[in-house]
Amino acid sequence: MRKSLFWLTVVLALSALSTTATAADSIPVGHLACYTGPTSDVGVPYGNGVADAMNYINSNGGVNGKQLEYETVDYSYKAPQAIATYKRWVSDLKPVAIQGWGTADTEALVQFIAKDKIPYYSASYSGHLTDPTGKSPRTKAPAPYNFFYGPSYSDTCRGLVQWAAEDWKSKGGNGAPKFIHMGANHPYPNAPKEACAAYAEELGFEVLNPIVYDLKPGDAKAQCLTLKDSGANYAYMGNTAGSNISLLNSCGTVGAKPQFLANVWGWDENSIKAAQESGDGVAVPLGAPSWKDSAPGMATVRAISKMSDPSGETYRNLHYMRGVCAVFFMKDAMEVADKQGGITGPNIKNAMEQMKEHVPAGLEGVCKASTWTSEDHRGTTEISVYTTSYNGGDFKFNPQSTVNVPRRDDWLGW
Amino acid sequence: MASAHSRMRCGEFRTNYRQDTTIFPTPLARRVAVVSVLLLMLVPMFGSAYQLNLLIQIGYYGIAALGLNIVVGFTGQISLGHAAFFGLGAFSSAWINSTTGIPVFFCIPLAGLMTMAVGLLVGIPAGRIKGLYLAIATLASQYILEDFFARADWFTGGSAGAMANPFSLFGYQMNSDRSYFYVVLFYVVIMYLAGTNLLRTRDGRAFVAVRDHYLSAEIMGINLNKYRILSFGISSLYAGIGGALFGHYLGFVSAEGFTIMLSIQFLAMVIIGGLGSVMGSMLGTVFMVLLPEVMEFGVHLVGSNNSALTQALAYIKEMAIGLAIILFLIFEPDGLSHRWKMIKNYWKLYPFSY
Repeated sequence: MRKSLFWLTVVLALSALSTTATAADSIPVGHLACYTGPTSDVGVPYGNGVADAMNYINSNGGVNGKQLEYETVDYSYKAPQAIATYKRWVSDLKPVAIQGWGTADTEALVQFIAKDKIPYYSASYSGHLTDPTGKSPRTKAPAPYNFFYGPSYSDTCRGLVQWAAEDWKSKGGNGAPKFIHMGANHPYPNAPKEACAAYAEELGFEVLNPIVYDLKPGDAKAQCLTLKDSGANYAYMGNTAGSNISLLNSCGTVGAKPQFLANVWGWDENSIKAAQESGDGVAVPLGAPSWKDSAPGMATVRAISKMSDPSGETYRNLHYMRGVCAVFFMKDAMEVADKQGGITGPNIKNAMEQMKEHVPAGLEGVCKASTWTSEDHRGTTEISVYTTSYNGGDFKFNPQSTVNVPRRDDWLGW
Repeated sequence: MASAHSRMRCGEFRTNYRQDTTIFPTPLARRVAVVSVLLLMLVPMFGSAYQLNLLIQIGYYGIAALGLNIVVGFTGQISLGHAAFFGLGAFSSAWINSTTGIPVFFCIPLAGLMTMAVGLLVGIPAGRIKGLYLAIATLASQYILEDFFARADWFTGGSAGAMANPFSLFGYQMNSDRSYFYVVLFYVVIMYLAGTNLLRTRDGRAFVAVRDHYLSAEIMGINLNKYRILSFGISSLYAGIGGALFGHYLGFVSAEGFTIMLSIQFLAMVIIGGLGSVMGSMLGTVFMVLLPEVMEFGVHLVGSNNSALTQALAYIKEMAIGLAIILFLIFEPDGLSHRWKMIKNYWKLYPFSY
């Protein structure tokens, strides 16, 4: 019987191989996406952004004339699945760079990609990925090949807390405001937990015990009652948008109304519509201009969007733009690497680390100017804090302040 | 296996019990098994990474599935917590290796023993309760262990997971699919021989007696408590070794991999393969591992340009597993091993069967 099993696998594998013939002069890129699974609410727009951007690059001259040959795998937010996919890619696709997704899988892959020298652009902005040399005492493992576009989760949360401190003063609050971290027991919501709490304490907040709520949307009234009892003034939501909508609706029902602070994946146009009045006033770090914005780079983004939507009518939310930016930083690094001895992992890493206040051409006003060095992979630490209002369906983003979180040495890798 | 003896070839006579309880039913079966293992040893020389990956998956899941078959198929108990033991094996091996520095080579069997100890503990309710109540008790152990994995930072790394070092032998790192395949094959052969052999022993016969009629078994002097708990222990040993092999293969162990879904997949493996059949455990594993791959292949064949179909692939894979279980329960409740025997018999009597 084992023999027939073997022949079955042979037949299956041969047929699978025949479909992945490699074209000459192409750049293999892996694309790990979350189209199903608990974070698919934001994974789909981001993944579409990444795929559209790569298709756009291919149909507009490629990277110095070379085509990106990418393979998309939906790993359903399961870290073991991501690792298995990565191991397969290393032996067949042989990617020179990877566009990835979640925190659990990216952090698990850190040592693998460092060994195989493959630059990894994650949609996880975990602070643990920012120390390439491991010199910071907080760092568990150096992450030399990890990059991401945007401020780290920890820096974002620090920025929000800093804004909250000012907000507390301006509203004439008495005594120490109370800060609480909420999120699933999962690497992604956990990433900024301690770092942010430490900074909140530094700023004079009273930090309460964190509350755990599920990454999958569901009833969260029990958590909201705990939140109400705790008397928190500022509550950080560490989960993605879908989960936060159900949390806010539950909290609206039980009457728990602190000022909610969302992480960068935790709030978008869809959630404003879905949470309606319960979501009024959530403070959110805006990682990109919204679809109707008139920033000069949005013309390019609209052209990119036409790759999968020729009519140009689909509304793309904030996460789409961030996916586009992640790909264009990679593309720019590849172009530099090509001139400096070829598109290989180490050359791409070097090119990334030469970027200084870099904005990809054509995306001005869309992607934030970012700087990476060989010792610091915090691309940007600028947090634009907005609050949102439902406004009867015609939602609004109200600018509050732009916080420049200091690049402290002891915050590297934390 | 017993039914295979009753359908032996013409010219094979057994005159004592010893001949009737050989590990392989016939000399031909033994020769086929030996040749199959030898042929499998050649696979890494020309097999692709994809094929090896599937074979390795079949290997470690197959070991764990045999463990579940011992408790469900042979002893007639139910376990909904097998994935948690599989995970415990993976975490234990990584933990022993990283805290004590004992080579991975020894960590795998040690992890098996550690899992067995926990399995014996969790099996205690099985001595008292049965049927649906036991199912719920094992479900509880699944959730307790799962939650433990997500919170025990010292043991599992908490929600972030643990790194597992690659397998090494005499300083040679076996972390490629090609070399790791031999490690898994070695364990599959050992564990499957041990499993088959177990059923020829006094303890193995006691398991079957407990399953077939627990009251009669007790009257015959079989200690029900002891054998029910023992079967949970042995089943956990298999799960632990399978899990440890999985952990060191992937290099990373995370709590989210060992959910109730995997427990149900293990149950599906033994049901599809055939309850109470050693070879069935392997056949069921092969089926369950290859089914999603076949689905993926089919989807790419039908519509690689059809993005709706490609995006639905994850659902199609899940649904196919559910559908397969239902179809097997209706049309082939005895599993693949029974079907395989029927095919063999058909050809044995061909063309004069009636």
